[in-house]
Amino acid sequence: MNTIALTVVLPLLAAFVVPVLSRVSPLLGRLLGPLTLAYTILLTLQVWLGMEGKPFSIALGGFQPPLGINFYVDRLSLLFTFLTLVTSLLLWPWRNETEPRQYALTLLLAASACGLALSGDLFNIYVFYELISVASFGLAAATRSGAAFAASLRYLILSGLGSVLVLCGIAIVYLQTGTLNLAQLSQLAPETLNTPLGMSAFALILLGIGVKGELFPVNSWVPEVYAAASSRVSGLLAGLVSKLAVLVIVRLLVLLFQQESALQLMLILGLLGAISGELAAWRAKDMNRMLAFSSIGQLGVIFIAFSIPGETGLFAGLALSLHHLLVKPALFLLAERWRGSLAGLRGAGLASPVAGGLFVLLALSLVGMPPLPGFWAKFLLFTGLAAQQSVVYQVALGVVLLSIVIEANYLFRVVMNLFQPAGDSSVAVTTDHSWLNLGTTFLLSALLIAGMLFMGPLGTWLEGVAIQAADPVLYFDTVFSVSAIH
Amino acid sequence: MMPIEIGTVLYAGAIGLVVIGIAGIVLSHHLFRIILALVIAEAGANLLLVLSGFRWEAIAPIITGGGAAQTMVDPVPQAMVLTSIVIGVGVQALALSLTLRAYGAYKTLDIRELQRRMSADLAGEAGTPLPQSLEEPVGGRPLPAAEGDGR
Amino acid sequence: MTPLDELLLFSGLTLVLLLLLGRFSYAGKVATVFYGGQLLFLAKMADRIVDGSIVTFSLQVELFGQQMSWRFDALSWFFAVITLGAGLLSSWYASGEWGERFRRRGGNLWLLHVALAANVFSMLILLGSGDLLALFIGWELVSWASFLLMTVAGGRAIQAAMRYITYAMSGAMAILAGIVLLWSHAGGLQYGQIIDVIPQLSQPQVWWLVALFGAGFAVKMGLLPFHLWQAAAYAETPGPGAAFFGAISARMGLYAFILVLVQLIGLARLSELTIPFTFLDMRDLWAWIAVLTIILPTYIALRQNDARYLLAWHGIGQGGYMLLGLVMGDALGSAGGLLHVFNYATNQAVLFFAVFAVMFRTGTADLNKLGGLITRMPISFFAMLVGIIGLAGLPPMNGFVSKWFVYRSLMIEGEPLLFLGAVIGTLGTILSVYKLIHNTFLGQLRVEHVEVREVPWSMVAPMIILMLLIIATGVAPGLVLDWVALVQSAVGLPVVENTLGGVELASGSLDMLWVVGVLFAGFGIGALLFYSGGRTRQVHQLDNYAGGHFLTAETRYHYSDNFYAGLMHLIKPWYRGSFVWLESTLGSLLEIAASLMQRLYGTLHPSLYLLVTVVATLTWVLL
Repeated sequence: MNTIALTVVLPLLAAFVVPVLSRVSPLLGRLLGPLTLAYTILLTLQVWLGMEGKPFSIALGGFQPPLGINFYVDRLSLLFTFLTLVTSLLLWPWRNETEPRQYALTLLLAASACGLALSGDLFNIYVFYELISVASFGLAAATRSGAAFAASLRYLILSGLGSVLVLCGIAIVYLQTGTLNLAQLSQLAPETLNTPLGMSAFALILLGIGVKGELFPVNSWVPEVYAAASSRVSGLLAGLVSKLAVLVIVRLLVLLFQQESALQLMLILGLLGAISGELAAWRAKDMNRMLAFSSIGQLGVIFIAFSIPGETGLFAGLALSLHHLLVKPALFLLAERWRGSLAGLRGAGLASPVAGGLFVLLALSLVGMPPLPGFWAKFLLFTGLAAQQSVVYQVALGVVLLSIVIEANYLFRVVMNLFQPAGDSSVAVTTDHSWLNLGTTFLLSALLIAGMLFMGPLGTWLEGVAIQAADPVLYFDTVFSVSAIH
Repeated sequence: MMPIEIGTVLYAGAIGLVVIGIAGIVLSHHLFRIILALVIAEAGANLLLVLSGFRWEAIAPIITGGGAAQTMVDPVPQAMVLTSIVIGVGVQALALSLTLRAYGAYKTLDIRELQRRMSADLAGEAGTPLPQSLEEPVGGRPLPAAEGDGR
Repeated sequence: MTPLDELLLFSGLTLVLLLLLGRFSYAGKVATVFYGGQLLFLAKMADRIVDGSIVTFSLQVELFGQQMSWRFDALSWFFAVITLGAGLLSSWYASGEWGERFRRRGGNLWLLHVALAANVFSMLILLGSGDLLALFIGWELVSWASFLLMTVAGGRAIQAAMRYITYAMSGAMAILAGIVLLWSHAGGLQYGQIIDVIPQLSQPQVWWLVALFGAGFAVKMGLLPFHLWQAAAYAETPGPGAAFFGAISARMGLYAFILVLVQLIGLARLSELTIPFTFLDMRDLWAWIAVLTIILPTYIALRQNDARYLLAWHGIGQGGYMLLGLVMGDALGSAGGLLHVFNYATNQAVLFFAVFAVMFRTGTADLNKLGGLITRMPISFFAMLVGIIGLAGLPPMNGFVSKWFVYRSLMIEGEPLLFLGAVIGTLGTILSVYKLIHNTFLGQLRVEHVEVREVPWSMVAPMIILMLLIIATGVAPGLVLDWVALVQSAVGLPVVENTLGGVELASGSLDMLWVVGVLFAGFGIGALLFYSGGRTRQVHQLDNYAGGHFLTAETRYHYSDNFYAGLMHLIKPWYRGSFVWLESTLGSLLEIAASLMQRLYGTLHPSLYLLVTVVATLTWVLL
């Protein structure tokens, strides 16, 4: 069971070995990363089978919590660890021109993301969060164009400011409670953190971590970085890193900040993000920008979902997150072959019908046409919102519905353009006819269809994950129980 | 009396550093000053962290062999701050290297100019170039009247 | 395997077969045969429907705590008959030379067939929904299938399709909001649960539900003010697609309206919702929306110069009759509304077929460039004539019966203003369809059309079938009224007592057999007088003179351009384009908001936002 820590250790080790190994043998350097990721995926599956659905906790280095740092492994953490590793493998930068430094950065991202999902200590989360930041700054600048450096710098400054705020928030939490262990905090929280000071700590942490999670209004970096970075990196950032940031916030909400005003704050910010993202996407004139703004909008909707109290919120948010994790990287990979303005894409769908068909499928799922999985995720969200009494939730329902209409409009504007016969004056599109990109998109779409076919069991399983994650008492008992694994 | 005064001063100082840092980031136009402001803000946050574990009339949290047990300052925030300073240094180094690269590409450190050029470059790559003023008027320059025209 | 299983499986099989084999030339004929097969399966369940029982689908899906089931009752069966009939005849029309020429001209015939099959399949799924979630799934499938069919032509059709999908998604989201609200009240989405919980809801809650559901269904039906998408979208669809759309597509909204607002919520509850500051209640509001829908689009239709647009605008107006009859709620009115669904489908289909037949032979649907084709395309002329008489509401066609029912019901219920509005609408109908037939078939034949022949059999046969159907159901409306009575009893409306020829009421009955008999007797006498008088001589159209000059073929004597000049002189100021203005205002508002958001994200100092938000939040928290 301790092997779960290897999901952090092995990629981290490989990240530092790869540049060295590449000098010796370039081929080995290219292969080491994917091999490590594949091996850690197997490890994760092994732990999954061994844990039989019950959460457990590992104390790192033998030091017991609450002073020692522990890894808390429940279905949610394991799910996100697994998804991190698989997504990193799928979106691995395979191009021949890739430097070993980019491999190292991707491995670093994977390692720190796993750590972020698993960690049970507040400051440990901060450390892994910073590691992810550093990795993503490097990845964002990896194309080495002037615009990439500038975009990465702006991202860095905003993210750095966010980290400062997170530190202040952690300081306030420590001041109030005297501990950093999440389990102990969950026990102390109702008395100590249910104050205005505790709420301000939440606000600081939310805004700080929200920079990664594309929260309104700290998401100005998103269009610039996604446009400057390569599509695989954008897919990684949009699909994976943002979800991890949301996961951290959700854990903190469940365990530490159980007051209603915390949820309302997140709801309002999510609402603003959803509507602003979709409206800005409507005006976008090229594919990358459109997908970046759409990502902002979708994450706003995810924040709205997670702001519903209780297991319903977690269930809806998880369903939406998983769906977005499948669809967004696939769309970014398609965008790789369709760089250039949207107007110049006329006839591109007729030229490569498979890519066009996949785009239509992904767009339909994003918009929420039944019986695709996107509809069911949105349905869970809507039923959850409608069941709430407060009027803000009803307003959020209306806003999300409006954002879906706008999304349908701009996505299908693109689809219509794709399938119209190209006139004589179409701009030459820089196409990337790589079969690897198309194959990965196909695989992700196939997973989407598979999800649709097995929606029943998938839904029940996901609900189980949500119920387990929404239980702070279970968290406390697992970490501090006698039978915790040492 | 005295611990409270010093405490308030220290807290005000820590928060003040953070505020100065944020103000610097928001108000500056020069990239290097922004990074320095970020450094200051991080220093303020670290100071805040240390303060959160500080106990008055206590000694440093080092176990010297033997001796009576004395009240020690809380070591956990100090460990946190050590980590945080190191992280900060790493991020600052990355920021500086990115600044060097951005300067190499754009030859300027003014963030207004940087943003303008970055947006222009991104739009150009995306096939949606931003409208710009022309280098010369459309239609060319009207020529002076030809000789022998009698005008 | 229940009959519904067989029907849906067969329909899905049709879709799959067309996907795979649609590129071959015989695909159209195969499709036609398969639609006929689906009709057979539908007929198989007729005896169960007549008994009043429900035919269920064997598959029941349970997801996330919601149960979804599918079943056919009399209401579903009635609409399904019309759907499959329209699909069969459209496919027949497209299967022969029309399809060949469409393909040769660069059209995507495969996509047309697939889209048609998808439309039929998804409509059957929608009609068979057994709970609100299945209804929504069917609704979305129908919307997207319609979108697919609209995009076949390309060019101008694309803009029309984009406009449609925006309207359709807005409507679908409104329906979803209504469903979710109902779920939060009722705890489930089964029809039984909804019927139980509706009486316990307060007036504002029912208001919201009626508004949301009504708006969503009104978009599909093309009721004011959501009607602007329909004309261009239906008109730009190639031939058989347009006929299918015109016949049945908008009626899906009516089906859902009947299901949710009449069967689940109930017309009585609608009457209880009063609108403040007026004397109207919700039922009156729907009746007035219906009447305005009858009037405004028909008067826009008579200004159109493209025959397809004229028919499409006309079609929007006719939907108002159906809603008007239904909302009246008595036996006669609701029977009239439901009967009009069937009648209108047959009439509109035959009109579209005739117009596309003319377009096939002459290459144009522009009313200012046609004329005199009666001598060259007599069958098409007769088809259009029958359709026009039917829509205008004159015996012996079926349209007369349904309109008579609606008028009668309006008079019995004591609604003089609505009656006046309906009559004005009928006037507009007659004017617009007369323009159609006059400009196309009557008058002077153009020089370039002298060689035009009648269309081939694959296109004539559906027209003849429809003509016979219209006349037969006009002479003996009781055939269809039997089904209508079944629908009424299934939905909970008062049932009309009909005879083969019509109805027998205390206040005056209608027996079409007598009416038609008298009519034809009159025709017979007239024909006798005409033909026995002898002394007729056939002359060429141009063997004539006017104003002292002989007529020549180069000069246009045919009055077709600016057809209703006199009328327009009177009512032109009333065409204000308010709805188009409203739509463009909403669009502009959205664009402004979007530009604002775009500027928001292109900012120089993103950290400023962070600062402002932190300060604002901390102030909110600490105060």
